[in-house]
Amino acid sequence: MQALTNRAKPVDRRPMTFMEKIYLPAIAKGMGITLKHIFQKKETVRYPEQKRPFSPVFRGLHVLNRDAEGRENCTACGLCAVACPAEAITMEAAERKPGEENLYREEKYAARYEINMLRCIFCGFCEEACPKDAIYLTETFAPAHYKREGFIYGKKDLLVPMPGEKK
Amino acid sequence: MPTIYIDNKAFEVKAGKNLLEACLSLGLDLPYFCWHPAMGSVGACRQCAVKVFKDEEDTRGRIVMSCMESVKDGLRLSVNDKTATTFRSQVIEWLMTNHPHDCPVCDEGGCCHLQDVTVMTGHNYRRYEYKKRTYTNQYLGPLVNHEMNRCIQCYRCVRYYRDYAGGKDLNVFSAHNHVYFGREKDGVLQSPFSGNLVEVCPTGVFTDKTLKEHYTRKWDLTNAPAVCQHCSLGCNVIAGERYGQLRNIVNRYNSEVNGYFLCDKGRFGYEFVNSENRVTQPLIRKRQSEAVNRATLMQHMSTLLSGHTLIGIGSPRASLESNYALMDLVGKENFYQGIPDDLVYIEQKIVDILLSGAIHTPSLKEIEQADAVLILGEDIWNTAPVMALAVRQSVMKTAATHTTEQVAIPLWHDMAVRELVQDAKGFLANMTVTASPLDEISASTMRAAPDDLARLGFAIAHILNPSLPEVPDATDAVRTQAMNISRALQQAKHPVIITGTSCWNNALVRAAFDIAAALDLTEKRAGLAFVMQDCNSLGLAMMRSSSFEKAITSAERSSNVTAIILENDLYRSVPAGQADAFFSSCKNVVVLDTLHNRTTERADVLIPAATFAEADGTFVNNEARAQCSSQVFMPANSEVRESFKWLSEIRSLKTTAGNGHEKHPDEILQALESKFPQFKGISRSAPPHDFRFHGARIPRESHRYSGRTAMQANIDVSEPKPLQDDDSPLSYTMEGYRGPAPSPLIPFFWAPGWNSGQSVNKFQLETGGSLKGGEPGVRLAEQTGVTPVFSRDIPDAFTARQDKWLLLPQYHLFGSGELSVYTEGIASQSPAPYISLSRHDAERAGLKEGDIVTVKSDGKAYSLPLSIHGSLPDGIMLVPAGLRGMDSWSWGGWVNISTVKV
Ligand code: SF4
Ligand code: SF4
Ligand code: SF4
Ligand code: SF4
Ligand code: FES
Repeated sequence: MQALTNRAKPVDRRPMTFMEKIYLPAIAKGMGITLKHIFQKKETVRYPEQKRPFSPVFRGLHVLNRDAEGRENCTACGLCAVACPAEAITMEAAERKPGEENLYREEKYAARYEINMLRCIFCGFCEEACPKDAIYLTETFAPAHYKREGFIYGKKDLLVPMPGEKK
Repeated sequence: MPTIYIDNKAFEVKAGKNLLEACLSLGLDLPYFCWHPAMGSVGACRQCAVKVFKDEEDTRGRIVMSCMESVKDGLRLSVNDKTATTFRSQVIEWLMTNHPHDCPVCDEGGCCHLQDVTVMTGHNYRRYEYKKRTYTNQYLGPLVNHEMNRCIQCYRCVRYYRDYAGGKDLNVFSAHNHVYFGREKDGVLQSPFSGNLVEVCPTGVFTDKTLKEHYTRKWDLTNAPAVCQHCSLGCNVIAGERYGQLRNIVNRYNSEVNGYFLCDKGRFGYEFVNSENRVTQPLIRKRQSEAVNRATLMQHMSTLLSGHTLIGIGSPRASLESNYALMDLVGKENFYQGIPDDLVYIEQKIVDILLSGAIHTPSLKEIEQADAVLILGEDIWNTAPVMALAVRQSVMKTAATHTTEQVAIPLWHDMAVRELVQDAKGFLANMTVTASPLDEISASTMRAAPDDLARLGFAIAHILNPSLPEVPDATDAVRTQAMNISRALQQAKHPVIITGTSCWNNALVRAAFDIAAALDLTEKRAGLAFVMQDCNSLGLAMMRSSSFEKAITSAERSSNVTAIILENDLYRSVPAGQADAFFSSCKNVVVLDTLHNRTTERADVLIPAATFAEADGTFVNNEARAQCSSQVFMPANSEVRESFKWLSEIRSLKTTAGNGHEKHPDEILQALESKFPQFKGISRSAPPHDFRFHGARIPRESHRYSGRTAMQANIDVSEPKPLQDDDSPLSYTMEGYRGPAPSPLIPFFWAPGWNSGQSVNKFQLETGGSLKGGEPGVRLAEQTGVTPVFSRDIPDAFTARQDKWLLLPQYHLFGSGELSVYTEGIASQSPAPYISLSRHDAERAGLKEGDIVTVKSDGKAYSLPLSIHGSLPDGIMLVPAGLRGMDSWSWGGWVNISTVKV
């Protein structure tokens, strides 16, 4: 068969020599590598005491944003849900009633908004699709939960707190 | 066929069309707004520009509006020409200057013709940076929402509302950049066809208010092709579901039935499916815990079956499958129609006429194309709304056709034709008991009692065919009118006679038949259309079972009766006294129904049935067209099942050799067909349940359906397996065959680049023509050319009696439907119960408007306020039929007024 690339390395199938058969030189070589690493700079960090800086394009847990006046941005247009490759977002729209203008920025809002974090692949398409700057992926990991239900994030988990309100 | 050259490619196209229609019919994407296949062109929006060239040498060409240019042999045009495409994108840019660009909050988003066209023209970036013009929106009633800022001034709404549907209260106001489409002031839209604005308007100005209550994007709906349940016309609809709730209904194009339009009852009357009043649990009454599970229910049913006389009561609103399953369970001789004797008699007459093959019964499309229409007795505005719309088109289009035969103006040239036609109208004779909105376009009207209307019919028949008997003692007025009408019918090439059952008078049916048959003898193809009462009245009548009265007699004969009542509120179908009598002579009453009503209250065993949206079923409409309505969604509650499934399971209790095999609806239809020859061919009304395209099913969901892994996470985090539909080739997934489905199985209209309902163009052979692969449904009654047997039995003239009135029902488009009033916006437009007398009768009895009158019907006394009716003939009492909570009365009987409270 013809090789697809020229990078394939043929396996050395020659029988082992006596030196190879006694293994000791190989073990000594391995120990050498290990010792070298003890004195080298460490690749890992001591999470969670120590945290690494996020890359500027890191995509973590979502939030639903509010505008400067504290009104919910999301208008339940459904574009994030339709963009989501994991089909992990679902929502139900409701009409803003008179008197609720301080709660919702647009005439429509999401009465229910849920993301299934077990399904989410943190691709950020939802953020890209959103025409209302409502959904953002933040620099937070999804925490661990004892139950799978805990990974279904509803509006109360996603909405950023009102200005002045503690979450 | 003329050949035209589009971008230097030769195409054969149909003569008489315009270039836009030709291009769209060829499957090309050409944007447009103001043209509508049902309304023609006015050239208002300038969106459909193409370039037309003089000849092969011409390279400059000129821009024309394709919707205003006729197809000519050898014509050369370019759709893709640079100037034409730039022109189109500039038009859109200009239309969009004031557009709010609020697709995310707009209900139209995702099924918006404006969005589609904007994308199609390639206008991507907005350059206009100034203040936008804004309007104040209006309150247009509980069904249609108004958001004027989104308007692009295409004029489709007013052209539809006023010109097509004959409405008066929507208009265009102001001028220039401020034209306003709305009402003079806030208020409920008066036309019962106003819901079509939602689909006619290419933008989000008019949207469905009932959908707003539980808004869902088009792409998120699970859709299925269904059949409207609210009258006998069987309009084709697409119903959409999400989260276990029916969310909206839109038109499903069928060129022979409803075409592009529905009535508001059909479009908005779906809320009963989501009602709190649904029966959700099998109940066995008079025991400690009434709610039972399926096993207990079946155990109990088997004790009710053995050793008992079974009586089955069928239903004109249940599917044929369910009715047949009940007949199969109780035996043919024990199966009764749950409607009164008089009605059964009239319906039998109609079935006999249709199945005899002596006449042709027209589709709604043919009624639209008729050139003279005679309505005999039926108040079609209220009992068959879309038929009234079709009759209106016949009246308006006949005049147009006559005029355009003389001058060389194509019919699609709407404004020019209107200018020419002015007030000329085709012939319509509206002969009914009371006034109707159709009167204003009628050449001839008459207000009379049903017998007198029938006599007029017989007088017409006699003139058309003098061998038929003359009407004895006919008045001069009747003679002249008969003369005029018969002349108009004789001059017509395609006359149509319409009658129905709502007058509870069989002479009308016979008279209408005599006229149609007499016309046929003169080498015309006359059509005779019947209007029935319910969505499957004709299907049930075709099973030829006995009436409810016969069921009472047989229940009284035996002391050990188990009655099984299928989806039928007897208190609405028969007079309350009779229903009571029946219940008291039955030992056990088993009721299968969808909603709690007075009949389900009398049930000893109550079984939850699925509504049309949760069931597959076949319904026979007024023209004997059997149409399949597919399941839109499976109820989350597994106790709610199709009646035929329950009944088949109950039947398997009787047979020892029950093999546990659930019958598919198409197998039930095959059984029906083999038992009753009159249903021959019905199993062809939709592909069988195992139909597949190379192994693939047809998905109910669009490929953009969202939230699959999250929607049901509140029930179970691991997403469930997609629901398995064993009864039809449709699937509950996004995957499957995406090509053109057979027309009875089209779950929604969509084509690449065409997200709005306008994508139906891609499903038609030609724009406004029939669907590719033929229209759904099978007609069970065709004219065979047998010699008609004339009736000749003329009733006596109606004479008002002293202190007695002929009791007739008045049907109300909004209010008379059992199911549609579950929609709040429809219930709010329903009249309050009343008793109506003519002015003269009221004066003679010394009654005033609003007096409380007590009337005894069938042993029960009813007190209702009097409403004096200007156009009602003397001697008749009119009572609204089927309003919520009202009993059915002995229609066609005589009643007197017992007491009066002022
Ligand atoms: S990040 Fe990607 S996968 Fe996660 S919800 Fe958004 S679109 Fe879906
Ligand atoms: S009418 Fe269409 S284009 Fe305009 S806002 Fe609504 S969805 Fe968007
Ligand atoms: S309201 Fe709709 S249909 Fe009427 S002119 Fe405006 S865009 Fe056209
Ligand atoms: S005319 Fe009848 S069948 Fe058609 S939409 Fe209206 S109620 Fe439904
Ligand atoms: S569609 Fe041709 S001008 Fe509007």
